[in-house]
Amino acid sequence: MVESNMLELYFTQMVSALKKKIDKNPTARRKFIYEIGRIGSRIFDDNWSIGWTTVFVPYEILNSMNVSGMFVEFFGAMLSSTGLSPKYFEISESKGYSTDSCSYHRTMIGGALDGLLPKPDVLIGASIPCNGGVKALKRIGELFEKEVFILNIPIEVTSDSIDYLVEQYKQMIDYIERETGRKLDNTKLKQTIRFNNQVREYMLELEDLCKHVPSPINSNDLKNFIMIVLLQGTKEGVDVVKTYRDEFKHRIENELDKLPDEKHRLLWIQNRIQFKTNILDILEKQHGAKIVIDELNHIWWEPMDENDPLRSLAKRMITHPLVGPAERRIKILMQLAKDYKIDGAINPAHLGCRQSSGARALMKDSLQKIGVSLIDLEVDCVDERNYSQGQIMTRLEAYLEMLDRK
Amino acid sequence: MGWLCSYTPLELIHASGFLPYRIVGHSYPVKNADSYIHPNYCQFVKSSIDIAIEGGYDFLEGLVFVNSCDAMRRLYDVWKKFHPPKFHYMIDIPMGDSSLGIKYLKNEFIKLKKALENHTNKEILKSDLERSIDLFTESRTLYRELNSLRLKNSTLVSGEEMMELTTDFFESSPTNWNKKIKVLIEEKKLNKPITDKPRILLSGSPIHDIEFIKFIETCGMNVVYEDVCTGSKFFDLNIVKSDDLLNSLSRAYLDRSPCARMMKIEERVKNINEISEKFNIDGVIHHSLKFCDTYLYDVPVLKEMLNKKNIKVLFIESDGLGSTNQLKTRLEAFSEMIKN
Repeated sequence: MVESNMLELYFTQMVSALKKKIDKNPTARRKFIYEIGRIGSRIFDDNWSIGWTTVFVPYEILNSMNVSGMFVEFFGAMLSSTGLSPKYFEISESKGYSTDSCSYHRTMIGGALDGLLPKPDVLIGASIPCNGGVKALKRIGELFEKEVFILNIPIEVTSDSIDYLVEQYKQMIDYIERETGRKLDNTKLKQTIRFNNQVREYMLELEDLCKHVPSPINSNDLKNFIMIVLLQGTKEGVDVVKTYRDEFKHRIENELDKLPDEKHRLLWIQNRIQFKTNILDILEKQHGAKIVIDELNHIWWEPMDENDPLRSLAKRMITHPLVGPAERRIKILMQLAKDYKIDGAINPAHLGCRQSSGARALMKDSLQKIGVSLIDLEVDCVDERNYSQGQIMTRLEAYLEMLDRK
Repeated sequence: MGWLCSYTPLELIHASGFLPYRIVGHSYPVKNADSYIHPNYCQFVKSSIDIAIEGGYDFLEGLVFVNSCDAMRRLYDVWKKFHPPKFHYMIDIPMGDSSLGIKYLKNEFIKLKKALENHTNKEILKSDLERSIDLFTESRTLYRELNSLRLKNSTLVSGEEMMELTTDFFESSPTNWNKKIKVLIEEKKLNKPITDKPRILLSGSPIHDIEFIKFIETCGMNVVYEDVCTGSKFFDLNIVKSDDLLNSLSRAYLDRSPCARMMKIEERVKNINEISEKFNIDGVIHHSLKFCDTYLYDVPVLKEMLNKKNIKVLFIESDGLGSTNQLKTRLEAFSEMIKN
């Protein structure tokens, strides 16, 4: 049984190491990881309550109620990137959790069973993107004898469905108040919407910069940028995105000649591989193939109304490309492929991801129609125990040769 | 009209003039499904698309899906794209204990009603819906009456027979089925009791293969309750009619004994416990289909919860393709253990 202070130590060291680096050279990536680390540290700060959630939970509300949350997939990614996940897989498997289920979730359950996670004050799971995340939270809730609040995200975009989610957000606020004694600060919430709109503007500029040929982005610059959800509605989030924007703008204006050769522009679908692997470096440096856009980094939502924050948040959620039928998501993928002048798309088809891997044939079919070839890696993005770099590289190299011939 | 999930309001489909027909897939290795969906999907989903692609469900007018799990959502997408039916609809059913659920689901049923009406160009009258509700309520009542013949220690009807009747219900006119069951109940009452064997409650993922139940019974046990949505649990639904029939339907479906997707494990355990007492169960066999996340995630905790109630449990994970020697050994060992 480990102590949850191992986690505290991890975040504290991460923050302090990054702080030193930022003082010397404040790159966007460093700022981003630093802020995520700072949020991690906050779960050990008595001024904040702790919330474990799934990924599509409105962090603006949590941040406005002094609840410092983290989502299941973040934990899975973190434990995998630090090489700790095999231990937690073994713990969860020894308790009977199936190896066929999603490894993001299993590793967090293992961590909870081993005492890695501090006791949460609230647990909030959303029905989208997947059932597995909610199930994992339920199991963690049972361990800590805590109720789990479930958000049902409607799959159709209608005025009624937005109202329905707004009502659920109100119930969620009541639940958080009940469990933590903390009240929602409406002024703060309003402010989060203002910050969101600023983030949106900078992100749109950033996206436009990435569309440039050659693109100013390197494959790992925006790796796991989905973690930005933890910074939603914060001034730190605005600062991170603005720094990225400035950096990419600077590269285009001053450093185009320093960018690596750009032979192939790639689209990455869903999450990245989380454990340590240099496949993208090899693709970029040896083959001139780089990721210029991650599906999950795309801004799909309209500007928000600070006078109606809950409705704005609900609307943003319901219109998310992963909500509803796969056509909605595929339409966005096709748009990204066109806008970013994409040659090829990589879909890890994360094993155990029932919400996504089943759409692989639909994605391939649609992208092929606009001349974009897609490769499915069929890899477990978190569990490296069965990972074979040689096999993956052989397939990727064959794929790139095929792109060369096009 | 095809349907797949037990949260589908059959009454509404029936009232629109269609015979509800349950999609059950098949129990053999799949041929083409892997190229349309993904190998890591359950047999139910893979075999259903396998049949659909080959035109095996072309006799159906259309399909009504439910947002019942991640795999089902993708099955809907793939089906629509690669073998488009004339009519298709996805019902979005909420999970958990939200007080807002009944209103939301009622609205979903209103939308389904409109979609069916548009497709048939015929209004579903309140009287149509009421007749269908009465008819299906009669089916459920008759099933429960027949099922009560398994209450006593020397059961009068086997699990295999009950699964055959359930499967028959999924494919037949409820009017004819009801007539048949009425006769059968009287016949079965005169039956000689089946040899006393350990009494099993089967819980878990949907099972569509009667052979699976038969296999358990050949391993020295009597299955006396199928706590699966393709068995006894399917009939465990009570509609209390009101002026607002769609509201009555919404309430009944949301209140039915929950499947694992509904995230109510305490209620699942409570139901298993109550049925175990009522049916004098000797042991529970919990079966999860491979890759069926919602049931697989319940297994470790369900085991602990049931063990605390002194219920003996055997967990099986399979692709539902019938017997294997290994499974036989485990089932026989379980049968021996619960006898003692």
